[in-house]
Amino acid sequence: MTDTDITLTTVELDRTTTLSPGQIFRRRMFGHTGFLIGAGLILIIAVVAILAPVLAPHDPFAQSLADRMLPPVWSEGGRWDHILGTDQNGRDYLSRLIYGTRVSITIGIGAATVGLIIGVTLGVIAGYFGGWIDHGISFLLTAQLALPGLLLAMALVFIIGPSIWVVIGIVGVLHWTYYLVVTRAATQRFRSLDFVAAAVAAGASPRQIIWYEIMPNLMSSIIVIFTFELGIAILAESSLSFLGVGIQPPTPSWGLMIAEGKQAMFYRPWLVILPGICLFLLVIGANLMGDGLRDITSPEGRNE
Amino acid sequence: MKIRQLKAFCAASAIALIAASGPAAAGPGDDTLRAAMTEEILNLDYNYTTKREYIILAQLTDATLFDLDPVSQEYRPAIATGYEWIDDLTLDLTLRDDVQFHDGTVLTPDDVAYTYNWIADQRSESNANGVVSRWLDEAVVTGPNTVRFKLKSVYPLVLRDMANRVMLRKSGTYGEGDGINRDAMANSLIATGPYKVKSFEPGTELVLERNEAFFGKKPEIKTIVVRNIPDIGTQQAELMSGGIDWMFKVPLDLAESLGATPMATHLSGPDLRVGFMVLDAAGHTDPDGPLTNVLVRRAINHALNTPDMAKHLIGGSAEPIHAACHPAQFGCDQSVTRYEYDPEKAKALLAEAGYPDGFPLEVWAYRDKAASEAIAADLTAVGIDLNLRYVKLESLNQARAAREIPAYFGTWGSGGTADTAAIARIHFDIDSDRNMSGDTALADLVLSAEQTADQEKRKAIYSEALGVIADQAYWAPLFSYSANYLVSPNLDFPLDPDGMPRLQNATWK
Amino acid sequence: MLRYIFLRGCLAILVAFTVSLAAFLLLNVASDPAQAIAGEDATADVVETIRARYGLDRPLTVRYFDWLGGVLQGDFGESYYWHKPVAALVADRLDETLTLALSALAVTIVIAIPLGALAALNPNSWIDRFALGVAVSAQAVPNFWLGLIMIIVFAVMIPIFPVSGDSTWRHFVLPAFVLGSSSVPAVMRLTRTGLIEVMGADYIRTARSKGFRGWQLLRRHALRNAILPVISVLAVQLGQKFGGSVITESIFAINGLGRLALESILGADIPTVQMLIFVFAIVFVAMNLLADILNAAIDPRIRIG
Repeated sequence: MTDTDITLTTVELDRTTTLSPGQIFRRRMFGHTGFLIGAGLILIIAVVAILAPVLAPHDPFAQSLADRMLPPVWSEGGRWDHILGTDQNGRDYLSRLIYGTRVSITIGIGAATVGLIIGVTLGVIAGYFGGWIDHGISFLLTAQLALPGLLLAMALVFIIGPSIWVVIGIVGVLHWTYYLVVTRAATQRFRSLDFVAAAVAAGASPRQIIWYEIMPNLMSSIIVIFTFELGIAILAESSLSFLGVGIQPPTPSWGLMIAEGKQAMFYRPWLVILPGICLFLLVIGANLMGDGLRDITSPEGRNE
Repeated sequence: MKIRQLKAFCAASAIALIAASGPAAAGPGDDTLRAAMTEEILNLDYNYTTKREYIILAQLTDATLFDLDPVSQEYRPAIATGYEWIDDLTLDLTLRDDVQFHDGTVLTPDDVAYTYNWIADQRSESNANGVVSRWLDEAVVTGPNTVRFKLKSVYPLVLRDMANRVMLRKSGTYGEGDGINRDAMANSLIATGPYKVKSFEPGTELVLERNEAFFGKKPEIKTIVVRNIPDIGTQQAELMSGGIDWMFKVPLDLAESLGATPMATHLSGPDLRVGFMVLDAAGHTDPDGPLTNVLVRRAINHALNTPDMAKHLIGGSAEPIHAACHPAQFGCDQSVTRYEYDPEKAKALLAEAGYPDGFPLEVWAYRDKAASEAIAADLTAVGIDLNLRYVKLESLNQARAAREIPAYFGTWGSGGTADTAAIARIHFDIDSDRNMSGDTALADLVLSAEQTADQEKRKAIYSEALGVIADQAYWAPLFSYSANYLVSPNLDFPLDPDGMPRLQNATWK
Repeated sequence: MLRYIFLRGCLAILVAFTVSLAAFLLLNVASDPAQAIAGEDATADVVETIRARYGLDRPLTVRYFDWLGGVLQGDFGESYYWHKPVAALVADRLDETLTLALSALAVTIVIAIPLGALAALNPNSWIDRFALGVAVSAQAVPNFWLGLIMIIVFAVMIPIFPVSGDSTWRHFVLPAFVLGSSSVPAVMRLTRTGLIEVMGADYIRTARSKGFRGWQLLRRHALRNAILPVISVLAVQLGQKFGGSVITESIFAINGLGRLALESILGADIPTVQMLIFVFAIVFVAMNLLADILNAAIDPRIRIG
């Protein structure tokens, strides 16, 4: 779901830009191994998320205290009705991992969007107006980077109460700086270019210039950053949940599952290993796709 | 099963191997018991602390006027040799004349009176101030070895407070006027207990040495070292390598896994702590909310599979409970109404109460995540749309004080006191934010028990109160806890029925 | 230049104060120090007594300005838990965090720079792809999980290193690897791009025509020019290592500033949190300033000020 959306937009966008025709773009896309692997991973995980109720062998919330901490089927004592074993409340681990994809993907997309809105808005404003506004926004940026996210998360979760939306908000608020840095620099560059100067001369308001002249040119970099931020946001959610200030039990979040398994990790390492692998696959998918998109959209091909 | 044990053993020996390069092994060789604590030890003066770790240490460093016998729950003479009630409000104590402080000075009645008057004085800002000032008017010296306590009101638990809440200090210890120093004993403690402080590095290590001048039974082990090791995994590695001999508050799974190896012994003893759900029957969060309906509260009681929770999640000697107290406590009547685990009945009751499709409910919890999730799952299973808020204790307390909590999973350790009084008042006093019943008659009943000196009468009052709590289902009582210890195989560590670890009673095998 | 450094220095201090004010407000909203000190079974009157004892019953503004006044005189206050000055507490723990941060940086350098250089010398070869794979994987691994896996693998299954603690150098190997690996992607990519760019420059072509090849060329000509941007990014990464130490130190039970930060945040030890955040902010801004100065030194075209 995710990746088709993004690809579609990119393709459409690409047609409108003069740099490379859609055909070249598509050829590049299918010739880029990293991108294909990344997009494939994301696609598979997205399908798992959508089909979770069909794929999961059990209700991820159904507990059976007598069957707690069963090992996976290939270990001594494992059972076929719980292929990947059970957790400390006797819930099926495979089903929880499957439903965990929903949590991670929702938060990844949501938080990357929140970050996008904050970062791009501030970046364009700072880049366009410059001066004191720019200094003020730079200050905000530095202060945000220096403030521990954990503290912010703790306070907000406490004030508002924990829910998936609050976590999306927190992670989004913590991850807008990359958007800001890139859009600010790009806006500064565009501002000095002829077509913006022409628009200013024609009497366009700053709002019109930003919306119609600058934003379309920022799109491809924003999409690339969005893809990276997807992975970063997913990791951030898992860290917060691991520390107990993110997703709340009994919602199956991979970070939370690692935290819950940590206690028993010397004797039941699969409780920690499995959700970590899921996280790794999802994030590496997003990163490979981001890398690929950057290479594909940049005129020179692979260029770091 | 065998292979599993072998695996556990391999993992265990692996950890032991690498940890073996650590500091010198503990044990009978140098007659030193090394105990690990997760909680950092930062203050040695129990008059200024509350947490359980500090009670354990205070029992080593301090002697009190009376001793509690953990088995019979009777108060035995300690520094006080005897007591006499002159009337309901006047208590005379006779003191031993051979009690020495750790620095060699002899304890006098002046010291006793000073300590009690200081604690009762608001300026002391002692953690014991609230409890003691409730009953103590004044302590006066009446002779070379006698002290008289004048009470403000009848208070049957005076001896309990004397046995475990007030630690005796030399007269003038905490200074006066501008020179008040409440941390005077925080780092270099001078007390009267069986062990004295040899060295103390806050947050790291406390070394205690047997007090050879102790007036009572001297402990067998000469030196006790308490090390702060915040990570339970590290404690585990240290235990297996012989770096420590004793760890407590061990999670059940870890205790069972490690106890199955020859490197450690798993001890599981009773604990006076009980777990329970408190329900907002008074309707503080919603005056017409579902919890104000007794049928709904009973349904919640029926929905919880407490036998399974006790058996699988708490383990050891944990048992489901039915009354709002620990079965071992004085006055904890077990004949109250019981709500057996029966989800179908719970659903039927919810339907009868007008909630056939359940209702949204926020349940707060702060410890035992697995049990919290089990509660959530059980309530979800009968159709309640449950939202679990697993938070830090401070957050829960803050929200509860603001009356924003409809239901919470709480626990109470009763400070190790095997008396229903130690749990009833704090939870059912009308001014307590823990009391969400809104039942003033019940509150009066609980209060009247505390003003009754006659034990039989007191017992009857508690029976009545507990009966009301059960019938009205103000709580959903869950289970009693068990205390899990891992100790080195050569240590003999006796467990007491009140769940209080007493390191002074440990011996080598 | 000096004026620029001075202005940025002022900015650093301003950021430090802003952030510590934010931390103070957030922490006061989210938790209650008195309750945290009193513990689980404390009754309400005990909590109130403690609140009064620590002056926590005073209004927020009074408490903040009290703290601010102290800081301006160099006094960061006393920890609620440790009963000693926060400054002493931080000084005590600084060693461990510095050791960890520097050894993590060493790990980053040892892995990232050779890998990046090899990749740049052989673009699009298997080693280039391998390097890219390392970078992408390192970016995708949750740091806290890597820590746990390292413990399971290298401390329990193959017991080469201790599980946790900070008493010997061996205790620092796993945490330094975990913390260091998170910076590998950025540094490696930068080394690679920088080198590729430099290798295409005229003077390298000249050197090549003079017969310099491979490592010799790299060492004598290219690396020297590509290294400054890498150093500046390393400075930024070092600043981030302090923040990153929170989770790593907690997992490996290292008694450093990161763990102190986590514990004091969770335990609502406000004076300690405030000083730590103050210190972290200053380190962070200082490292960024260093990076900017380096960048300006490399490329005179970048005008600063």
